[in-house]
Amino acid sequence: MKISSNWLKEHLDHGLSVEELSVQMLRLGFEIAGVEHHGPTFSGVVVGKVLQKDKHPNADKLAVCTVDDGSQKWNVVCGAPNVAAGQTIAFARIGAVLPGNFKIEGRKLRGVESQGMICSRAELGLPKDVDGIWVMGEGPALGTDVGSLLGPADDVLEVEITSNRPDCLSHRGLARELAAALNKPLKPISSSLAETLSKTVSVSVEDAAACPFYGARLIEGIKVTDSPAWLKARLESIGLRPVNNVVDVTNFVLHDVGQPLHAFDADKLNSGKIIVRRSKSGEKFLALDHKEYVLPENLLVIADAERPVALAGVMGGELSSVDAATSRVVLEGAYFAPAEVRRSSQKTRLRSDSSYRFERGADPEAARTAAARATALIVQLAGGSAAKPAETAAPAAKAAPIKSSAARINAILGAEFGADEIVGALKRIAAEFTGDGASFVFTPPSWRRDLATANDLAEEAGRFLGYDRVPYRLSPLSPKAATTTPAASAARRARLHLASLGFSESYNYDLLSEKAQAAARLSSDNQPRVDNPLSEDWAVLRSSLLPGLLKNAQHNLSRGADAVRLFEVGKVYAQKDGAVTEQWRVSGILLGPVLDARWQAARAPRAGFPDAKAAVEALLSGLGALSWAKPGEGAAGKRVCDPLFHPSNSLRALLDGTPVATVGWLHPRAARAFDLDREGAVLFEANLETIASKPAPRVKFREFSPLPVSRRDLALVVDKTLAYGRVEETVRSCRIDELQELTLFDVYEGKNLPEGKKSLAIRLTFGRSDRTLLDSEVAAFVAKIVAALTEKAGAVLRG
Amino acid sequence: MEPTTNRAAWDQAYARVESALKAADVAQCADLLKLEEVRVRFLGRKSELTELLKSLKDLPIEDKKEAGPKAQALKSAFEAQLEARKAALEEAGDAAALAQDAIDLTLPSIRPARGRLHPLTTTLEGIADIFQRMGYSWAEGPHAEDDYHNFTALNMPEDHPARDSQDTFYLSGVKRLLRTHTSNVQIRELEKPGAKDKPLRVVCPGRVFRHEQIDATHSAVFHQVEGLVVDRNVGLADLKGHLQAFLEELLGSETKTRFRPSYFPFTEPSTEVDVKCFFCPGTGCPSCKHTGWIEILGAGVVNPKVLSMSGWDPEKWSGFAFGIGVERVAMLLHGVRDLRDFYINDLRFLKQFDEDLV
Repeated sequence: MKISSNWLKEHLDHGLSVEELSVQMLRLGFEIAGVEHHGPTFSGVVVGKVLQKDKHPNADKLAVCTVDDGSQKWNVVCGAPNVAAGQTIAFARIGAVLPGNFKIEGRKLRGVESQGMICSRAELGLPKDVDGIWVMGEGPALGTDVGSLLGPADDVLEVEITSNRPDCLSHRGLARELAAALNKPLKPISSSLAETLSKTVSVSVEDAAACPFYGARLIEGIKVTDSPAWLKARLESIGLRPVNNVVDVTNFVLHDVGQPLHAFDADKLNSGKIIVRRSKSGEKFLALDHKEYVLPENLLVIADAERPVALAGVMGGELSSVDAATSRVVLEGAYFAPAEVRRSSQKTRLRSDSSYRFERGADPEAARTAAARATALIVQLAGGSAAKPAETAAPAAKAAPIKSSAARINAILGAEFGADEIVGALKRIAAEFTGDGASFVFTPPSWRRDLATANDLAEEAGRFLGYDRVPYRLSPLSPKAATTTPAASAARRARLHLASLGFSESYNYDLLSEKAQAAARLSSDNQPRVDNPLSEDWAVLRSSLLPGLLKNAQHNLSRGADAVRLFEVGKVYAQKDGAVTEQWRVSGILLGPVLDARWQAARAPRAGFPDAKAAVEALLSGLGALSWAKPGEGAAGKRVCDPLFHPSNSLRALLDGTPVATVGWLHPRAARAFDLDREGAVLFEANLETIASKPAPRVKFREFSPLPVSRRDLALVVDKTLAYGRVEETVRSCRIDELQELTLFDVYEGKNLPEGKKSLAIRLTFGRSDRTLLDSEVAAFVAKIVAALTEKAGAVLRG
Repeated sequence: MEPTTNRAAWDQAYARVESALKAADVAQCADLLKLEEVRVRFLGRKSELTELLKSLKDLPIEDKKEAGPKAQALKSAFEAQLEARKAALEEAGDAAALAQDAIDLTLPSIRPARGRLHPLTTTLEGIADIFQRMGYSWAEGPHAEDDYHNFTALNMPEDHPARDSQDTFYLSGVKRLLRTHTSNVQIRELEKPGAKDKPLRVVCPGRVFRHEQIDATHSAVFHQVEGLVVDRNVGLADLKGHLQAFLEELLGSETKTRFRPSYFPFTEPSTEVDVKCFFCPGTGCPSCKHTGWIEILGAGVVNPKVLSMSGWDPEKWSGFAFGIGVERVAMLLHGVRDLRDFYINDLRFLKQFDEDLV
């Protein structure tokens, strides 16, 4: 809200500079979003007269003017098309300084000496009116300083008023607040009104709860004209456009004391009646914003005998508006229930200064006095005579008194303010205050509907006495060591595991388009949808983290990255039987060569399935028995976003038999959809909540034998199609307790091997903890293993 | 035993060895291999010098007295020569090897692929970690929330104007909305079975949603860290103490703060907390919007209505709550100017956040 410092002084001699004013407001809880300085930002510009205009000898578009500044005549070259002899103009003499520190000097323009400048409004930093120079009109004496004609300088503050303080949405409201803070008196508002007209308006209110007070007053014989300069200046200072003397008065009173008012053209009201009623469904209303609104039923409207003429508390109607031909007006001063106005404003998406105040809560007792004041001003500015108002109901009941004590206030603040200080501060804002620090009763004024509890009073005391005087206290002491949730610790572990494997962390939005889901081969059928999405791109809550990561991978590749390794920890959603379920997941994507290989990059291997498998193993290590199954191969439970994965080159990880993650190649169709079809992307997604449900791994140290072990390497030639898993299974099936470790250390296909064969090189490590093995024992183990491999895996020892 | 060797014969042998040693010329020996040959030739078990020393025992006593030291001196001198030559040869050899070993030290380092945590993770966990050290337990709540926990229970009934500032995504057909703040966790924690009538101290980090067009300073998805303390006799002073301690930990012990009144429906009194701008010396700059202060969080004494709505007796219990915008803190700490950068996941962005893992 814009607050003019000069206007504020009409209500309170605050004696503060604009800087001090800003600090004071902030201490009271009102942020200052900005300060505008109004007034001349130039010097040395005087009123002049163009005596003569001649053509410039060397330029078609320039003129040479003779300007009289009251004491001397000057030759001035001017390029404005509207300059003419006889005009009164703003003349910047040599030595003048225009906005932007632009100094006027004498100089030659196309060979002709120019001794100053004829200014446009824009060049003086004033709002522009016409193209070209500012033609000022007769009046001011030649040589008068133009700056002095602009009225007194002013500072206009953009004040942010929190939604609990509608009483501060006016100059008087803020002045009242400052008066309490500075302990200075508010100036009285003088207004005298003669109610000479003996006519009344017919007013009926059909819903007194929605409109506890309605006043309407007839004013006749008025002449609608422009407002006087002082009123225009007031409104313009806070950025309002003057309309006419009647409308301007209602706007002035709104910004002066915070009470919204409305003036109807009485002759445009059918039967001259005012009915406050509920709208009927489909009723049409042409508002002052020139738009027609088809109203839903049950909004509170002001109607004449036939149709709505105003949306109560929100906006008046075009068809009953005051214009130049108006001679009789009905001035409305009312109090509407906040919820009503809020609902009307929301349903019609119509907002106004009026609705802003009503929906936050206007002062129920201000309508009558504000309307009287506006009436007096209208009669003063537009003539005519006013009748007594027709009023319905009584103003709403007084706010409930609050019982409290200084000790209670200090307890809420944790402060040690003196009882006198607290009582003093509260007295200044109370409608009634009885008692003392030990026990008092505070009755809030009608405009402070936000005050209802001791906590509210504590805030008031704190604001006026200073939050900075409340001490810093570090109690209570923590009752126990802080705990964390399983999901949070699982997420932390997952992040550290993946970062250490070279994955960087992504953050994607939870909302995406159905199209993006479909591109990743994911159905949106069971997904929660947003009723009011920002756009189609934000319509569905995600069912997997992978579409986001695919988009991230594509983004990075298109911007020159040659390798991508990203992960995300986040929630996925599903909707079932009218309920939304949420689940934490952790997912990752890898493509391109191993990162950070730098000058060895040419020889760095590309990320493949085993790398993704490593990530999943890291996430699951130590949590239980890990096994792998092909999706659909008999494992119980649901598939984890399987459609996104390559049907054969993907595996499901099971933890103690429960599916927990899927890892594999990207399905070629999804790869094409994300423009990743040449990249060989591998991905994984794991259910973080299953991981979190397992007790956090605690390493149990196992003794290792100090005795030497025996190693044997075997190169096995097997069918190309044989899965390595078969080899491992076969070796394990020999049940040799002394076999401590089996590792695969090479897979080779190609030269020196028969067609359709590959070579698997394995290392067997044997040992016992009580003694060293004999060579003969080791040889027997190896023989047993080789025999089994030959029999069950068709392996032949190589070389 | 009688001496078997006479002095003359021994002297002859000595002269032979001495000249042989001289001829061997240890000081000129070309390499360590040759040097070893010479050593074995003269000091080996059957070598002349060893024999010479052995034969001392066969000399008469008087001759021994003179010949003994003489032979020992010959041996010692030879050994000294050997040692000196060996050292010289080794040194020369090392120098040659060292010269040959020289690698290109200017080649860039090679390190295992290393990932980075997202700056919002480090910021969020960094904030939560400070509070956890102050005894706040980690708590979470649902993203898809009902109207009651997101608004009504926080003293924002249906027609409350404060709802305007929190434009909301509503979900179709399930009477759920996407939570507009982490304050819903306050209510969830107050309602938790077994929580009632025990001191409560939680920090609730998480994701929140607002129906806002996305631009450099607005996001429809962002993160907050909520805090709630409920205990006996808790007041604004405790809030100030805890948040001052937090901010000093987050931003440094010199951090100056300003607590100014504000309004949130679920706290009363309410406050917004500013920290002295750390980009300028308080003279004003674009980061502090030329005010010298940066708004960092909102907080307040828990509104007694909130406590009683959740079944706590506000006569016995009181508390304070606060909410911190994670993106805002991350932007301030890292100088990120456009909120959207956090959600594009460009590796050129992510890789810059090379801080210690939390």
